[in-house]
Amino acid sequence: MTIKTILISGFLAFSQIQSALCLWPMPSNLDAGNSFLRLSPKFSIVVDVHNAPSDLTQAVQRAQTYIQTDKLQRLVVGRGANDAQNIAKAPELSKLTVSLTGKRPTQSISAEAVLSLEDRSESYSLTVPADGSGATLTADSTLGLLRGLTTFGQLWYQLQNTIYAVQTPLTIKNDTPAFPYRGFMLDTARNLPNSFSVSDILRTIDAMSWVKIIQTDTQSWPLFVESHPELSAEGAYTSDSAYSQADIQNIISYAGERGIDVIIEVDTPGHTGSISFSHPELVACSDASPWSTFANEPPSGQLRLASSAGIDLASSVFGSLASVFPSKYISTGGDEVNTNCYDDDAETQADLKASGQTLDQALNTFLQATHGTLRKAGKTPIVWEEMVLDFNVTLSNDTIAMVWISSQDVASVVQKGFRVIHAASDFFYLDCGGGEWIGDDIANSWCDPFKTWQKLISVNQIYSFDPLASLTSGQTNLILGGETLLWTEQSDPSNLDPIVWPRAAAAAEVFWTGAQLPTGTPLNSSEALPRLHDARYRFVQRGVRAIPLQPQWCAIRPGACDLNA
Amino acid sequence: MFPTKTILLRILFTFLTYIHGTLCLWPMPSNLNAGSSLLRLSPEFSIVVDVQDAPSDLTQAVQRATTYIQQDKLQRLVVGRGATDAQSIAKAPGLSKLTLSLTGKRPTQSISTEAISLLEDRSESYSLTVPADGSSATLTADSTLGLFRGLTTFGQLWYQYQNTIYAVQTPLTIENDTPAFPYRGFMLDTSRNFFPVSDILRTMDAMSWVKTDTHSWPLFIESHPELSAEGAYTSDSQYSQADIQNITSYAAEEIDTPSHTGSISFSHPELVACSDASPWSTFASEPPAGQLRLASPAGIDLATSIFSSAASIFPSKYISTGGDELNANCYDDDAETQAELKASGQTLEEALDTFVQATQSTLTKVGKIPIISEEMVLDYNLTLSNDTIAIVWISSQDVPSVVQRGFRVILGASDFLFLVLNVGLQDCGGGEWVGDDIANSWCDPFKTWQKIYSFDPFANLTSEQTKLIVGGMTLLWTEQSDPSNLDPIVWPRAAAAAEVFWTGAQLPTGTPLNSSEALPRLHDARYRFVQRGVKAIALQPQWCALRPGACDLNA
Repeated sequence: MTIKTILISGFLAFSQIQSALCLWPMPSNLDAGNSFLRLSPKFSIVVDVHNAPSDLTQAVQRAQTYIQTDKLQRLVVGRGANDAQNIAKAPELSKLTVSLTGKRPTQSISAEAVLSLEDRSESYSLTVPADGSGATLTADSTLGLLRGLTTFGQLWYQLQNTIYAVQTPLTIKNDTPAFPYRGFMLDTARNLPNSFSVSDILRTIDAMSWVKIIQTDTQSWPLFVESHPELSAEGAYTSDSAYSQADIQNIISYAGERGIDVIIEVDTPGHTGSISFSHPELVACSDASPWSTFANEPPSGQLRLASSAGIDLASSVFGSLASVFPSKYISTGGDEVNTNCYDDDAETQADLKASGQTLDQALNTFLQATHGTLRKAGKTPIVWEEMVLDFNVTLSNDTIAMVWISSQDVASVVQKGFRVIHAASDFFYLDCGGGEWIGDDIANSWCDPFKTWQKLISVNQIYSFDPLASLTSGQTNLILGGETLLWTEQSDPSNLDPIVWPRAAAAAEVFWTGAQLPTGTPLNSSEALPRLHDARYRFVQRGVRAIPLQPQWCAIRPGACDLNA
Repeated sequence: MFPTKTILLRILFTFLTYIHGTLCLWPMPSNLNAGSSLLRLSPEFSIVVDVQDAPSDLTQAVQRATTYIQQDKLQRLVVGRGATDAQSIAKAPGLSKLTLSLTGKRPTQSISTEAISLLEDRSESYSLTVPADGSSATLTADSTLGLFRGLTTFGQLWYQYQNTIYAVQTPLTIENDTPAFPYRGFMLDTSRNFFPVSDILRTMDAMSWVKTDTHSWPLFIESHPELSAEGAYTSDSQYSQADIQNITSYAAEEIDTPSHTGSISFSHPELVACSDASPWSTFASEPPAGQLRLASPAGIDLATSIFSSAASIFPSKYISTGGDELNANCYDDDAETQAELKASGQTLEEALDTFVQATQSTLTKVGKIPIISEEMVLDYNLTLSNDTIAIVWISSQDVPSVVQRGFRVILGASDFLFLVLNVGLQDCGGGEWVGDDIANSWCDPFKTWQKIYSFDPFANLTSEQTKLIVGGMTLLWTEQSDPSNLDPIVWPRAAAAAEVFWTGAQLPTGTPLNSSEALPRLHDARYRFVQRGVKAIALQPQWCALRPGACDLNA
């Protein structure tokens, strides 16, 4: 009796193996066969691009290296041993030709990656014939070619010394992301100097590129700002722990070559207690007690926003950053501004009295100054949702708001006409669920529970994250995309990889693939799991310590560990 | 109210109490007396082993201690990271010698031998004196195991500033520091995802730094190589005998029977009921289903043969036969088991009793003490051998009933039933791993270090019953863990449990253990772990770690 059931469930698992092409994120469309194709020992990628930019040739070299060194065995029972016969008979692929189509001028990947979101072109088309004839990858831009190379690199498995694909012929036509903003935010401010070394950041950038995440938003003070070297010299934990100018350039160019736009955030005017190390006269309620009255987390401290010296410092910092970061976007923060802090600050009260302004008006003046500096430099400001929802300030229409407090707040921000980046703590905060870090509090973390990957892509559409939930069709164009975030009160290099991966990849698919799989089925975790296992095992092969999602027994038997299997 | 004054007072207050009040040892010794003088480690510092025929693992332990002291390079967790100590360091006396010796009448044995003696025979206590004037420090104990524990404590005294290694709280006297409980464990599940030997050895190193002594894990067997050859994921992902010899100096081992034995079906399909049956949730608590046919003589033979083989490999006095999550549906639906039961005229419970008698007597015959899961005590009417140890894993609420039941079941036959407490499943809170389930993990939420630290081993027990508690452990089941997150998921949380079971209910001052007092010391332990290459997670931003109390809720 049970034996029959087993056979049937085994058969189902078999059909899944044949149909699930393990790409992540799933392309918007694809057509795949089930023929085996070997990679010829002479395989090469030919770049048929006039004056190919050097970062494109480097991307091609990286893709070739991954294909040769991934050595990923298929996640099936026997780890591919049963493929031996099919592999032996399979045709060989010896060439992938990469070329640009369309009329877009040829630019480097780095240049394409920092264009404004509406000008970026990431789409690509990929054809891999089953008979061994040349594969082709075309795109309008070098950035699109990079995305296609990433997809091509996910087709390959290894058995003994043979590298092979299992689902050719493959055709992907104009795979295009559903949303242009697909980000990951890494807080580099909280755990210096044990914080992330440049190599940790570069490894994370690599991993992001493997799943087509393209924005990295970094909140930091341990950052060398050219016009104000004293900020990092005094504000960082030790002199080793500030990112130098060379570090920053290194990170920006490494990211650009991988199609990633580095957006810097300097949170103002809240969360600026660390300025007090260098400019104590500009900080209100610096390390005041009890901190919980003056800030959402210790140490308290906010820039004196009504003081002209405070405004000058902030504007000058943003002016300096605008010249260092090529991105069109810079975040001025704006979360958790604590009014008690200013109410209790004699200097701020005196400044307000002198200018005859309310606190809201002073905040508005402050924002006009910092945002004005950015606009003059051709940048578009990003702010946290409170600046839109909680304060009566004037923001220009193209300002982008990050919604973090709750995904429920998206509708109100959109109502006010602002563009939105999903960053809500109830879905995207990777640090939740690890317990409270406040010393004498044994409670769970404020944003419990842990955000599982299934929280984003769940069993059925009803529970999956829907970026366009409760919006009218006229409003949906205001949703730029979303990002996962790692605040680092309890993270540092010891747990960076396992806390971020593979969960950040789940968000990557939500914002690349959109609501539906190519088959028309809504995204769902049962379909996604075997592909996410595959992506995770490939990450591990590439040196990123992504966590297992299940015991390996389950990973090589898709569906067998489902609740109703 | 103007905040500046308050800040100054608070900073001054935390600064003073921290430096003079908290010696950053972990776990806190049962007693200590510490001064506030600085002491430098002389460049000629050496540890002298004044033990006749010192066992080689003692000399090696001394060498490791010396290496840690030289290489930890841990800066003090204070604002400035020790820069303000420079002047005092320059004036401090230098310590050039620590002398180790054995006292008492115990014969000298290796640490490895001492570590696997019966829990009631083990001696871990030690005394340590570090004078403030530079005269020799001394460490004495009854056993080499006690000396080893003392070396661990000595190694935690030292910080480095530039090229100088120094201690900040001498003179220091610790007299007969003894663990409150003899069993202080960590269980690593190596069956669900595979861990290379190097990961296990690193974990055991880290355990020893916080005086955790029992490492248990589920695995592979000499008499039945086919079990691992067929049941492991690949031939690379199994432990060889050499690996096990390498690991076993103080590992206890568990082979879960008769449930959770689906992997035997790879080599012995005829002995497994409901193997990979569907739906698995009817036949098992987690996939794949599969239980050894407990009523079949061949099944009993296989199990006893495995345990007798494991008994010869593992020097530990303790072997766990498991017994958790036995699924009755599996046997009810299994034609072979039903036929066996009919033939022998036994109920399932009687057959289970026969099975347990067979495996337990195999172990007791070779001098081992079986450890079993609480269900064997609570859910079935079984005869368990006199000195069986039960592990309470489902809930600490079950402790009183296990104790009660223990007396009732066992009183007539013998004296007592030991209990090992599960203080925290380290895998909880990471989300469900079953494929199509979006729920949180079954044992949500994440067990924070504060939660583990607040565990009271004596809750709801009478003083008579407390004698039955031999200790406790944290456990890591590895559905969602492998080498990628082993260190950060285990450390420093397992250290919190280490202190609960070493230090006991009270600090040397008489104050109950509390997380405010513990946090600065746990930061210190964690930063030392990182210096030694164990990727323990940060508990707070470093700004807070350098300012004890400043990030408390009411600071």
